[in-house]
Amino acid sequence: MTTVSEILGINYIVIAPTLALLLTVIVLLFCTITISTPMYVKKYVSFAGILLTLFTIFLKFGLFLTDGVSSYFSEKILLDEFALVGNVIIGMVLLFTFNSFWKTSEMIENKTTEALILVLMSASGFLLMIDAENFIMLFIGLEIGSISLYALAGLNRGDQLSNEASLKYFLLGSLASCIFVYGIALIYVSLSIIGVYEISFAISIIGPENVPLTTFVGLILIIVGLLFKVAAAPFQAWAPDVYQGSPTGYVGYMATVAKAASFIVLARLVAVSLTFIIDQFDLFFSAVVIMSVLAGALFAANQSDLKRLIAYSGVIQSGFILSGISSGVYGISASTFYLITYIIQLIGIFTVFSIISGQLSSDFQISNISGLFKENKFITITFSIFMLGLAGLPLTSGFVSKFILITNLWSYERYILVTVLMLSTVAGFYFYLRPIWVAAVEKTENVVEKIQLKNSDKLLLGIMAALTIYFGLLPNSLVNITRWMVEGYL
Amino acid sequence: MTSIMFSLLIVPLVSALLIFIIPSARKEIFRPIGIAFSIITLTQCVYLLFGDYAKTEFTILSTFEWIQSYGLNLSFGLSGMSTLLLLLSSLLVFVSLLSIGKDHAESKGFVGSLLMLHFAINGVFISGDLISLFIFFEALLIPMYFLMGIWGGENRRYATIKFILYTVFGSVFIFIGTVYTAVISYGVNGRLAVDFETLSSLSLLGSQSKSLFLLFTFGFLIKVPIFPLHTWLPDAHVEAPTAGSIMLAGILLKVGAYGILRVSIPFFTEGFLAYKNLIAVLSVIGIIYGAIVAIAQIDIKKLIAYSSVSHMGFVMLGISAGGFLSIEGAIIQMINHGITAGALFMLVGFIYERRHTRNISDFGGVKIKMPRYAAIFLFTSFASIGLPGLNGFVGEFMILMGSYNSYKVLTSFAAFGVVLAAIYMLWAYQRMFTGPIKYEENESLSDLNSRETASIAPLVLLMLFIGIYPNYIESFVIQEASFLSDTIAIFRDLK
Repeated sequence: MTTVSEILGINYIVIAPTLALLLTVIVLLFCTITISTPMYVKKYVSFAGILLTLFTIFLKFGLFLTDGVSSYFSEKILLDEFALVGNVIIGMVLLFTFNSFWKTSEMIENKTTEALILVLMSASGFLLMIDAENFIMLFIGLEIGSISLYALAGLNRGDQLSNEASLKYFLLGSLASCIFVYGIALIYVSLSIIGVYEISFAISIIGPENVPLTTFVGLILIIVGLLFKVAAAPFQAWAPDVYQGSPTGYVGYMATVAKAASFIVLARLVAVSLTFIIDQFDLFFSAVVIMSVLAGALFAANQSDLKRLIAYSGVIQSGFILSGISSGVYGISASTFYLITYIIQLIGIFTVFSIISGQLSSDFQISNISGLFKENKFITITFSIFMLGLAGLPLTSGFVSKFILITNLWSYERYILVTVLMLSTVAGFYFYLRPIWVAAVEKTENVVEKIQLKNSDKLLLGIMAALTIYFGLLPNSLVNITRWMVEGYL
Repeated sequence: MTSIMFSLLIVPLVSALLIFIIPSARKEIFRPIGIAFSIITLTQCVYLLFGDYAKTEFTILSTFEWIQSYGLNLSFGLSGMSTLLLLLSSLLVFVSLLSIGKDHAESKGFVGSLLMLHFAINGVFISGDLISLFIFFEALLIPMYFLMGIWGGENRRYATIKFILYTVFGSVFIFIGTVYTAVISYGVNGRLAVDFETLSSLSLLGSQSKSLFLLFTFGFLIKVPIFPLHTWLPDAHVEAPTAGSIMLAGILLKVGAYGILRVSIPFFTEGFLAYKNLIAVLSVIGIIYGAIVAIAQIDIKKLIAYSSVSHMGFVMLGISAGGFLSIEGAIIQMINHGITAGALFMLVGFIYERRHTRNISDFGGVKIKMPRYAAIFLFTSFASIGLPGLNGFVGEFMILMGSYNSYKVLTSFAAFGVVLAAIYMLWAYQRMFTGPIKYEENESLSDLNSRETASIAPLVLLMLFIGIYPNYIESFVIQEASFLSDTIAIFRDLK
C-alpha cells in the first residue's frame, strides 16, 4: 500500500544534512536567548552539529545504494552522484574550517553565536542548493547561503574595509540573484518547466534545433548567476574587495563553500540539462574561461595584499575549473578533481593567513610575512607547499589536477583554451613564488615573532599539506571518485 | 639492479629529510652526513657501471600504476648514458659538498637543498616515461630556487626569477607535448601510456612527429641552452653560490641535452630530420658567439658561463649531425663538460671565498702566492680548451669529425670555437695568475688547503683518465649512440 508520503517522495534522510545544521542553529539560538552559555558549550554544540551533518551525509550514501539516482519531495530534491560529492565537499569544508571560524567567532565577543549561526546557516543553504532538482529550490538554497555570507563579511563592524566588503558583496550578489531569478522566469515562460531533468526531457522532445531563444537566454542568465558566485571574469569584481575586507578567519570558509556549491550545480546543469545543446554554449564558456584566466593573471601580478592576490588567483582557478566543466563529461570529472585539490590548498592558505594576521584583521600585506621563516618554520613550509600547489608544481596535487584537466581539454580538441591556460600557468609562477620569496628567501631585518601554534592548528595545517602532497603523488583514489561521479552521464 | 636504481632516489631524499630533522644547533654534522650519504650513492653508481644495463640502450626495469582510470603508469629504467650521468651527478654532489665553505656547509637549508637537487636529478635520469621525466624536470626548480635565492649574490632576485620563468616557460611546451603524446597514445592503445617502450611502438610520422619534436625540443633547448635562448644562464651562474653553479653547469645543462637524446630524437625522428639543420646553425652560432662574448668578460664566473654556452653548442652540433661518431662525441662531451665546468666553477669559488671578488683585473700574479691552485687552474683550462691528452679533446674531436660529413661549412666554423676557447681561457689565466702581484690584498692569499685539494682532485684525475683512455667511457655509450644513429639513418632512408 502506498502512502501519501511515498507518492510525494517525502524522505527526511535526503535533506538530513540540512536539517542537522538547522537543528544545531536552533540549539545555538536558544543558547543566546535564554541563558548566558559558556563559550565551550557553544563550541561543542557547533562541532557536534558538524559531526552530525557528516554522519547524515554518510546516511545519504546508504539511501543512494538502495534507491540510485532518484528525486524526492515531488521532484524538488534530487539524490545523485553530484549531490553526494557536493555534500561531502561542503561537510569537509565545514569540518576543516571549523578551527578558523570558531576562533574568529570567539574573538567577536558579543556576536559569537550570531557568527556561528551565520556560518552554519550558509552551509545548510549551500547543501540545499546542491540537493535541489527544482530551480526555485536551487534559488532558495543559494539565497540562504549567500545572505549569510554577506553578513559574515561585515561582521567586524569596527573595520571600514569589512563594512565595504559586506556592502559590495551584498549589492553585487543581489544583482546576481536578480539575474538568476530572471533566468528561471524566462525558462518557465518558454518551456513551462523549472527542473534540472525536465529541461533535458523537454529539449529532447522538441528537438535541440527548436529550442526557443528565450530558453537560451534564461539558461545563460542562470549560468551567469552561478558564475558570479565563483568569481569568474567578468563577474569577479567583488572578490578581491570581499576577500580583503572580510575577517580573515572567515574568508577560507566563504571562498571555498560558495565555489564548491556553485561548481557542483554548474557541473550538474551541464551534464544533465544542457546535454543536447552544450555545443551552443561553447563560445560563451570559452570567452568566460579566457577572460577569467587573463584578467586573473594580469591583476594578480601586481597585488601587494595577499588576500587580494589569492582572490585573483581564485579567478584564474575558476577559469581552469570552468574549462573542464564546459568541455565534456570527462572534463567534469577532471574539474571536480581540480576543485577538490584547490579547496584543500585554499583552506590551508587561509588557515595560515588567519593564524598569522590574527583572526579579525582585514589588512594583510605581503610585507606582513617578511622574515616569517626565521621563527615560524612549520607555518612557512606548509604555506609554501600550498602556494606551490596553486602554481601547479609537480609533486603537489596542483600538478596532477592541471595535468588531468589539460589532457581532457586536449582530447576534446580545445587547443586555444589549453594555450591560454598554460600561459597563465607560467605567469602564475611569478606571483605564487613571490610570497614564498618574501617569507623564506629574502634577507631582511624583519622578524615575524614566533607564533605559538595550538595543536589543532598544527594538525590542520599538517593534514592539508599532507593531502596536497598525497594527491600529488598518489592521485588514483580521488580520480576514481570523480570518475564514479560522472559515469552515469556519459 | 632495480633496488639499486630506486635507492638512488631514496638515499638522497632520506638524507635531505634527515638533515631537515636534525636541530640547527648541531650544525657541524650537516656536511659529514651529506658526504656520507653521497658516498653511498656514489658507490651505488659505480656498482651500476658494472651492472647489466650500463652498456645498453634504455631498458624499463620497473613500472607502477599511477592513475588507473586513465591508464597512466610511471616507469623507471636505466641505460648507458643514464648510468654515466648518474655517476657524474653523484660525483659532483660529493665534491661540491666537500668544497663548499664553512658558512654554507653549516647551513641546514644549503646542504638539504643540495641533496634534494640530487634526488630530483637522479629522478630525471632514471625516468622511463614522459610524466615522471616532467615531474623530476620541474622538481629540479624548487631546490635551485632556494639555493640561488637564499645564498646567491647581490642581484639574485632578478637572476632567480629569470631562471625560473625561462625554465617554466620551456617546460610548458614539454607539458603540452606530453599531453599531446598521451592523447595520441590513447587513440592507439586505449590508455594514456607514455612510457618509452609504448612511444617507440607508436612510431609517429608526418606533422604529428614534427610538431611534437618542436614542442619537446624547444623546452629542452632552453635548458641546454642554445643560442638565442641562453640569456638566463650567465645571470644565473653569476648569482648562484659556488655549489649551485657547479650543479647548474655540471648537470642541469645536461638535462636538456639528455631530454633531446632520450625523447626528441628516438620518438620524433622525422621532426628531428626536418629541423636538425636549424639546430645545427644555432649551435654553431652559439659556439662562436659564446666564445667571443667570453673573451670580453671581466668577471671570471661570467666568462666560464659563456664558455658553457660555447661548449654546449658543440654538444648540440654533434647531436644535430646525427651520425654515430658525432652522437657518441656529444654524449662524451656532456660528461666532459660536466667535469671541467664543474671544476672551473669550484676553482672560482675557492678564490672568491678568499678575495670576495671575481673581477679578472683584481688579480694578477696569483701564481706566486697560490702555486698549487694556479697549476690546477691551468690544467683544468687546458682540459676545457680541448688539449689532446685531456678529456675535452676527446669529445670535441669526435663531434667535429663526426659532423664534418653532414655539415662541412658549419663544422669548419665550429672548429674556430676551439681556437677562441684557447684565447679566452689562456688570456684570463695570464691576467689572473702570471706577472707580478699588483694589489696588496693578493699578498695574503693562501694556497688550497687539503680539503679543497681533495675536492678538486677526483675531477682532475678524471680529466686525465678520460683524456688518456677514452675507450673506457666510450664503451658505455657505443650501443646507445649506434641505436640513435641507426634510428636516424632508417628515417633518412625512408624519405
